[in-house]
Formats: sequence, structure tokens, C-alpha cells
Amino acid sequence: MRTVLLAWLMMTMGSALAADLPVDNVGKTLTLPQPYPAHWVWVQDIAFEHMLDGKMILVDPRAATLREQFKGMFNSSNIAAFAQSATRPEVYVAETFYERGNRGARTDVVTVYDKPNLRPIAEIPLTGNKRASVMPGRHALALSGDESLLMAYFFTPATSVGVMDVAKRTLVNEVTLPGCAQVYPTGKRGFSSLCANGSMVSFQLDAAGKVASTHVIERFFDVDQDALFEKPVIVNGMGYFPTFTGNMQEINLSGEYAVLGARWNLVPETERQQNWRPGGAMLTSADDAGRLYLIMHPDGKEGTHKDGGPEVWVFDVVKQTRLQRITLKTWGVSIEATRGPDPLLLVTNADMNIDVYEAKTGKHQRTLAHFGQETPIIMHAVR
Amino acid sequence: MITNWLDALTERMTRGVAQRTSRRGFLGSMGATLIGGAAFPLLPVARADAAEGQPSPPTQDPGDPTTCDYWRNCSIDGYLCSCCGGTMNSCPPGTDMAPVTWIGTCRNPGDGKDYIISYNDCCGKTSCGACFCNRNERDRPIYRPGTANDYNWCVGTKSIAYHCTVTLILGVATKSP
Repeated sequence: MRTVLLAWLMMTMGSALAADLPVDNVGKTLTLPQPYPAHWVWVQDIAFEHMLDGKMILVDPRAATLREQFKGMFNSSNIAAFAQSATRPEVYVAETFYERGNRGARTDVVTVYDKPNLRPIAEIPLTGNKRASVMPGRHALALSGDESLLMAYFFTPATSVGVMDVAKRTLVNEVTLPGCAQVYPTGKRGFSSLCANGSMVSFQLDAAGKVASTHVIERFFDVDQDALFEKPVIVNGMGYFPTFTGNMQEINLSGEYAVLGARWNLVPETERQQNWRPGGAMLTSADDAGRLYLIMHPDGKEGTHKDGGPEVWVFDVVKQTRLQRITLKTWGVSIEATRGPDPLLLVTNADMNIDVYEAKTGKHQRTLAHFGQETPIIMHAVR
Repeated sequence: MITNWLDALTERMTRGVAQRTSRRGFLGSMGATLIGGAAFPLLPVARADAAEGQPSPPTQDPGDPTTCDYWRNCSIDGYLCSCCGGTMNSCPPGTDMAPVTWIGTCRNPGDGKDYIISYNDCCGKTSCGACFCNRNERDRPIYRPGTANDYNWCVGTKSIAYHCTVTLILGVATKSP
């Protein structure tokens, strides 16, 4: 009995002596560091099973725990298109809403979010509601080189590009495309688009967003025999467009209009005999050092161009040579390299989780899973 | 080992237990799970012929429309309406069929002919969620819309909300692809 009493006294005294936890404040919300660390990444989840409710999740792929990995998110509705400013603390999401969820009056809009708070700070109405609803890439919404204009791909199914004045937050023009698609920023204030007949058209715009000049590269590839993927990597103004059968087409986008560059072979003869080909949902990326990454699969044939693959090949685009083959831990679907001097290679894998590799060594570091993602089929390294 | 992410995605979306070794193996099991291995209209004909000891003549439209390897699905990307309250050529109740589409050219193993298939999306409700299927034969990037299955083809409908896809025969291809 004396022992029990002593223990009770010690417990009571101990709790009395310990400091109370401080009272928490109501209403506290965090903000994010500016600029974001270079290795952070936006994961775009299109929510394929309920597209109304897509989301953009900002993650730190270097962090070891979910608590440190998940930095914040915002919504992106109906297979949205995404773009980031490098000169303003804001990002842009072209999305579609209905007044009653999936029905009622339609509103297409570019929502402007601020980077520190991930809050919508402005909207640019896309009058006419022509925004393309298409599996996301990196070139359905793009800023001009000088970041004065924002350009959105429209599809009704007639194709055109909506031009917005970023500062004024208004749609200022619509450029009709002659059977072409996508928005590849070109020069100071223009864009180029690939066309159905294997040609490319370029427009340079004036400060008001009106067409100042037009230029066409006549048919330079065969869409049936060896189509260009519409998902290039653009490194220092040079667009690198892989083809279905394993070639690379360079297109210089740094000037007033697109200029056709070199075409080179991505697949050495040995692997060509095994029908190694590029493929995937978002199969290309590049790091700040200009190393280009490409998802590859063996036994390629007609119809395998979206299958993904078991390897990522790394290329030196200046020397036009392969530097490295990275064998993936799990079959890869989409990739993105992070910014900065020690890039990570992120791979959306077949399980819809994200594998993180050290890009220079190909060593698998961790898998990002259970962070609220369902179909995260494209990633965007922060700018 | 997962050798095709589309299979994996299909598995995720159907929440099924499946073989992971191949698209055909997986989808075969998925079809059995979903419909209990039910026979399809032309299959009894083939059985009758087989019973007479004759080689099975080509059936006219063979296969199971609720499986990804059904011949009309050679360039489809989405949910099969046959699993969503519709059929291979009719939209489920309360959805609207999009009037504009992408097309594929698929070989019918029943008669050996290549058919032009129109993939019309059924629209106005959220994703069906059953029987996801993505095959990309002769699919091309979105700069050639008429053969691009990456678009949400709920175009020209009241709502762009995508529900599922039907496979309509437009005719026999006059020239093999």
C-alpha cells in the first residue's frame, strides 16, 4: 500500500511540475518559401475516374517522409492545362467548370494561383469556351518567351490558340490554326504548332497579341510512317522531338520562326534489331545540364507508342549520343527531371506511384506513394 | 512483373484481381469476372459447326465487347460502354453521344476485312469507371485529330464530362492500312 501511494504521489507531482503545452492559435495557415527549392515538382493528377476534380500537388521528392514530401496542392478541373511563370510568383491553370458540376452553363477560364499561398488570385475568362480537353502535356498552355502573353490551345474540333495578355488578365486574340495543334513557344513573343500533314507553322505576335508574321515549314515528316511525338523537350530554345520509330528531330524555336534542325538516330543498331522504341504518356524530359531523358521499350511496333517502358535512356543532345541506360525498378509511364545541379529523375510508374532516382547514377532512392494521388500521369519541375 | 502500365491502370480502375503477365491474359480474366464468362451471340454458331466436325467458319462479329481485345477496340482509349449500361454501339441511359469522333481501322477476325471504326464518346456524366481500355493501333498525336484518341471527344455535346466510348462501324476500309 505504501508503494502504491508513493507512485501516485510521484505521478501527481510530476504532472504538476511539467510545463503545459502552449495553446494553439486558431486560423493559422502556412505559406511556401520563395522561390521554391529547385528540386520541387508539381505532380498533375488528372483524376481519370472523376475528371471534374483533378489536382496539382507540390512535392519535395528529396524528402524522406510524407510529412516533408507533401508541400501543398490546388484543384485543376476537367483535364486542365498547366504553365508556370519564371518572372512572376504565379502559375496558370486552364480549366473548365459547369455551374452544377458536370452540367449547366460551361465556363472555361485560366485560373491564376500565387506561388506562396497556392490561392487563386485572378481569372482570365476564355470567352467562347473553346479550351482543348486533352490528355495533359506541357504544350497546351504556354507563356511567350518574354512572358507577356499566355497562349492556350483550343479545340472545338477546329483548332486555334487563344492569346491572353498576362498583365491585363484578358483574352486579346484567337489565332486560327491551319489544321495544327499545340503551342511551342518560339522566339520573343510567338509560337509554333505541328500540323496534320507533317508540316509546322510559326506565328510571331505583336505586343497586343495580334499576328505580326507567319512562317511555314513545309511537310518534313510522314505522320503514318514515323510520326513525331507532340511532346518535345525544349532546351535553350531547341526543340527535341522524338519519333515513333526512334529518331530525334531537332527544331530550333529560338528565333522568330521555327527552323528545321538535325535529325539523328536514337537507337543503336543492336537495340534497333530488338525494336527498342520511345513510348509513354509523358516520355521526355531534360535537366539543367541539357541531358535529355527518354522512356524506351523493347519489342516496339505499331500501337506501342504510349506503353511506357522498362528503361530510361539519357542522351547528350550536343554530341547526339547516348550517355546512359537506367533500368527502372518498376515499369515507367511518365518522367520528369528536377532543376538544379544534382537532378533527380522522377518516374510515374505502372502502379501510379512515383519512383525517385538519382539522375546521374540511375540509383533508385525512394518511392512516393499514398500522397493522395490516383492518376499522376504528368509532372512539372518547378520554375 | 508488370509489363504494361495500361494493364496496371486497368486493374486499378476495375479494382479486379487479375493476371499481370499480359494484356490478353489480364483482360481475359477481367471479362470473365465481369460477365461470368457468358457466351456471345455468334459463339453458339461456331459451337454447332464444331460439333459437326467441320472447320469453324468465321463468325461475323466475334468476340466479347466488354473485353479490351474485342476487335473493334483496336484504337480505343476509355471505358467500354458495354460495361456501363450501354452496348458497343449505344450509349448508356442519360448520356449523349458525341457527333464528332476519332476513327480507327480494325481488322475483323470474323471476315478478315478491315473496318473503319468510329469511337464516339458518351457524355454528360462522370467517368463510368468500368472496363478501361487503351489500345493505340494507328493512333497518332493530337496534331492529327481524326486519328488521335488523346482528346476528350465529348465535343459538340452539352457537357464535356466523359463517361464511356462506343465503337460504331462506318464501313469497310477500301484500302488496307
